[in-house]
Order: sequence, then structure tokens, then C-alpha cells
Amino acid sequence: MPEVLAVDAVGVTKRYGALTAVNDVSLQVAQGEVYGVLGPNGAGKTTFLRMLFGLIRPDAGTIKLFGQAREEVGTHVLDGVGGFIESPRFYPYLSGRRNLEGLARLDGGATPDRLDEVLAIVDLTDRAGDKVGGYSFGMRQRLGVAASLLRDPLLLVLDEPANGLDPAGIRDMRALIKRLAAGGLTVLLSSHDMGEVEEICDNVTIMRTGSVVYHGGIAELRERAPDQGHRVRTADNARALALAHQHHGGLRIEADADGDLVAYGTQAEVDAYITTVVTDGVALRGLELTEAPLEALFFMLTESAPGGVPHELDHAAAEAAR
Amino acid sequence: MSASVQTTAPPIAGQRTPRRGASLAGVLAWEATKLRAQARARWVLLLSALAPIVIVAIINGQGRPPKDTLFGRYIHHSGFAVALLMLGFAGQWVLPLLTAIVAGDIFASEDQHGTWKTVLTRSASRGQLFWAKTITAVVFALVVLLILGASTILSSVLIVGHQSLTGLTGQLIPSGTAARLVVASWASAALPMLGFTCLAILLSVRTRNPAFGIAAPVVIGMIMQLFGTLGGVEAIRPWLLTTPFESWHGLLAQHRFTDPLRTGVLVCAVWSAVCLAIAYILLRRRDITEG
Repeated sequence: MPEVLAVDAVGVTKRYGALTAVNDVSLQVAQGEVYGVLGPNGAGKTTFLRMLFGLIRPDAGTIKLFGQAREEVGTHVLDGVGGFIESPRFYPYLSGRRNLEGLARLDGGATPDRLDEVLAIVDLTDRAGDKVGGYSFGMRQRLGVAASLLRDPLLLVLDEPANGLDPAGIRDMRALIKRLAAGGLTVLLSSHDMGEVEEICDNVTIMRTGSVVYHGGIAELRERAPDQGHRVRTADNARALALAHQHHGGLRIEADADGDLVAYGTQAEVDAYITTVVTDGVALRGLELTEAPLEALFFMLTESAPGGVPHELDHAAAEAAR
Repeated sequence: MSASVQTTAPPIAGQRTPRRGASLAGVLAWEATKLRAQARARWVLLLSALAPIVIVAIINGQGRPPKDTLFGRYIHHSGFAVALLMLGFAGQWVLPLLTAIVAGDIFASEDQHGTWKTVLTRSASRGQLFWAKTITAVVFALVVLLILGASTILSSVLIVGHQSLTGLTGQLIPSGTAARLVVASWASAALPMLGFTCLAILLSVRTRNPAFGIAAPVVIGMIMQLFGTLGGVEAIRPWLLTTPFESWHGLLAQHRFTDPLRTGVLVCAVWSAVCLAIAYILLRRRDITEG
């Protein structure tokens, strides 16, 4: 693996008056990595990425891209970096192709063949001559990827690229990102969708209200995720709860806000518990999975859920305790 | 969206190599391309060429000349008088409006379309974008003035005639001299027009609102003119951006005086420099949080 990090952000902070939008965020992305920045709306993901592109100046901290900072090399810091922030925007009165031609001029120009190539990659060849004002949201999103690829990037930065797309569009966008990553591109992706990050990324930084609450690999995160929950509805929940306490001590079971029981444990433990309930003559009225374990962990980390943030994952708390 | 994407992998560079980067000429060409694509800019140029012909024809057809207006009483005597009458009228609000239509929009439209983040994530610097947009707006203003002035002078001469012109002090100015002085008078409007261009640029950068960027310079110009007519402001009047629009009057006197022209150059230069400096700093220091 190359030694120079694609992204090396250290202690980055941005304040707007009393609001700290990004608080002392450090993040390293190695070349070739597919890295996710995950967090709910307002977590500071987009502000961080805007600082990475130089659209916003940080109040503190440094951001280096491929070992160089904007203060040292000016706009050359973005050499080899492409991407877009939130939904990509273009000039609606120009065609897709004219938009790309113009943006290429801002990079020193591109050959017509290269324009054809990137338009083909995002499947916009047939609509390239149409004005962007008539494009659908998904088409503008793909044109944004094409504009990014024009820069021949080694690092592709995408801010919630699937946001606003319909299911087919989301599928296509994810497939495109995975294909680009498979070609050796480093990808830094922000998202509020745990499933998206889990599907695409190797490593992740999870943010909450401007601060980092988790850094690490998806595999490690998966290991630390809570057990899968099963929501159990019976004709007699009190009896079912008593049966759990009597016969299934290894199972964690609690009542949710609706009075239903939620059982946490291995699949074998849950299977055995359901068998006990039914055998005991308690009618089973419903059985369904709660949110996926990683999703549950994400909510724990970012929302201070009833279960709270697992202490070993709460970096913010650990920093505060230091 | 439901279109599928191709399955071929895109070519990806193996190593980060310094980009050629943007040149000011490249950014300028891009700004010119965008301007040419805008119907509004094309309409301004077309109207600048055609409207004077219609207006001169209407003025020529009037039985009672506007005697209380500069050169108004001579509009049937010489086409040059018509061209100067039109210049006096244009300086009041037409020229500020024509330049503001592009200059007041050229920065704010990036906010309107949310495209700052698109252009500022390329290799072009904020400085390059600023100067490319400024040059584009200035060139547009000069082209508009050239077309408007040429159309006005030609249509006035062709419709009314190229008779000798009666000057401001009653002297008779031969046709050839009058032609040169009329052209010089129209050319003198370039300086305050550039001043208004820079003012519109500042308002466009500051307000991020195209409508405000276009309308405000016109309103400010009218307020300046109103202020200039008040008594007791003699010390301030020369420093108003509207005053240089009248600096050509000295050219049409028996004994020509050019002090107002020289003062106008200084005043327009100061207004332009201050407006551009503030606009440049605002753009350089701005956090792009929208779009």
C-alpha cells in the first residue's frame, strides 16, 4: 500500500458562532480504500467534506490530500481529487455535454474522446445534447459522477450520492461506485444509511453532532453490533416473559413501548424460546426482526438510544474522560 | 432514474500527477460561453442595436421638441443633437441598467444555480474566476455601449441628417467636428458605465441575489442623481458616480473645458477600484455553504 495517505485530516474544527459544526475531527484514508463517513443529518459530514474541497475554511486543524495542504499548493491540492457535495449542480441552460466541456476548461481542458468516455461510463451518451434543466435528479447525479471522472481522479469524494434517488437509481449508483472502487479508485463516501456504507465501504467514521464517535473497519463494527432483535407478540405477553425468565436465562428480553416483547440472543436461543412459548399454550400472534444489528448500533452511536452508546465505542466520551 | 450503467471499468490513472490547471484565458472562454448561451444577454445586445432606431424615428416625428432638455430644441436641426439628447437620457438610468443586467447577475447566478461548489472543486482558483467574470462583465458593458452609441449616432444622422450642430454656448459646430465630438461624448460614458459595472459586481457578490444585483445599481444611480440636484452638496457632487455621465458637456462649449472629464476618470477609477477590491475580498473569504 502506498505510504502517502489519500486523506489526512487532523483536528479539523469548524464553528458557526456558538454552533460547532465539526469538532476536532481526525480522519485518515489510505489510497485504494473505500471509506465511509456516516452520520445522521446535521452530524457534520457535509461540512467536513466542504472543508476537504476548500469550499469552507476550517477554524482549526489541517487537511492534506495526497500529502499536500491547500495552504502549500493552492488549488493543486485537488489534483487527483474529484467528487461532489450534496446533489451536483450544473448550468440548466446548457446541455450536459456543454457543462462538462466548460468544467473541463476549468481543469485545463479535455479531449472530445474523453468527454464521450465519461458520458458513456455514466450512461448519459444519448442525453448529452439535452439541456440539464430537463434532466431528472438521477441523471444530474450521474452527470456529477461524469464531471468528477473528467478529472481522472485517484480519490473520489461523494456526499450522499444516493440521496434522492429511487430504488433503481440507488442500485445503479452503488453498482457504479463499487465498479469504480474495483478499478483502484480511492472512494470517500458520506452517507446517513448504514446499509449503504456496509455494502460499499471497508472502513468507516461515524459522526454525531460534529464529533467522531467511531473509527474503524466495518468488520470490527459488525463484531461489536448487538444481537439481532426479534419482536414477539403473543396472546399473553406476561406469561411469555415469565417463560423467558424461567427457561431461557441466556436470552435478553424486554418490553418495547407498544408492550411487545423484544428478544435478543442467538438464533438458536430465540428458536428455543419461541418453541417453549408455543408448547406452553401461549398463542403466538407475531414474530418479526427488529432493525439490523449494524443499524441498531448506528442508532446507539448517533442518537443516545435507550440502550446508550456502548462505552468501548464512545470515543467522544473516552476523549472527555481523558 | 432506472437506467443501468455500463459494466466496463473506467480508465483510472495509476499515480497522482499535477494537473495542467486552469488558465485565465480558459476560465474567460467558459464565462463567455455561458454568457452567449443566455437569452437575456442576447436580447440586451439586440435591443441596444434596434431600440435607438425606433426612438430616433419617434423623436424625429414629434412636432414639439423637448426644449427644456439639453439639445432638445435642436432635434430637428441636426442628427447630432438627437444623438446627444439620447446620451443625456441614457446616462440617467439606461446605461446603468444595461450593464447591471450582466454584471449584477454574473456572480449571483452561481448562487442561484448552486454552482459555486461545482466550479470551485475544479482547478480554477477563486481569483481566476473573479477576474474572468469581471472581465466578461466589463467587455459586455463596453460592447453594449459601442452598439448603443453606434446605432444611436448612425440612426440620428441617417434619419435627421448631419447638419451643423449648435453647441451649448450657441456656437455653430461644423458637421465633421460635431461628428467627432458626439463620438467622444458617447465614449466618455464608458468610464461611469464601468464604474456602475463594478458596483453591480459588488452587489452581485455581496447579496448573492441576481434581482438585487440588477435593480440596485439603477436605483442607486437614480438616488445619486436626485442627491446631485440638491443644494449644498457641491463638494460631494463630483464624487457621485452619476456625475461623470455629464462630463462631456465641456466638449460642446465654445471654449472647451475638460476638467470634468479628468475628474470623472479619477472618480470612476476610485469607485471601480473600491468596489472590485471589496468584492474580491468577499469572494476570497467566503465559505460556500449553500448549493
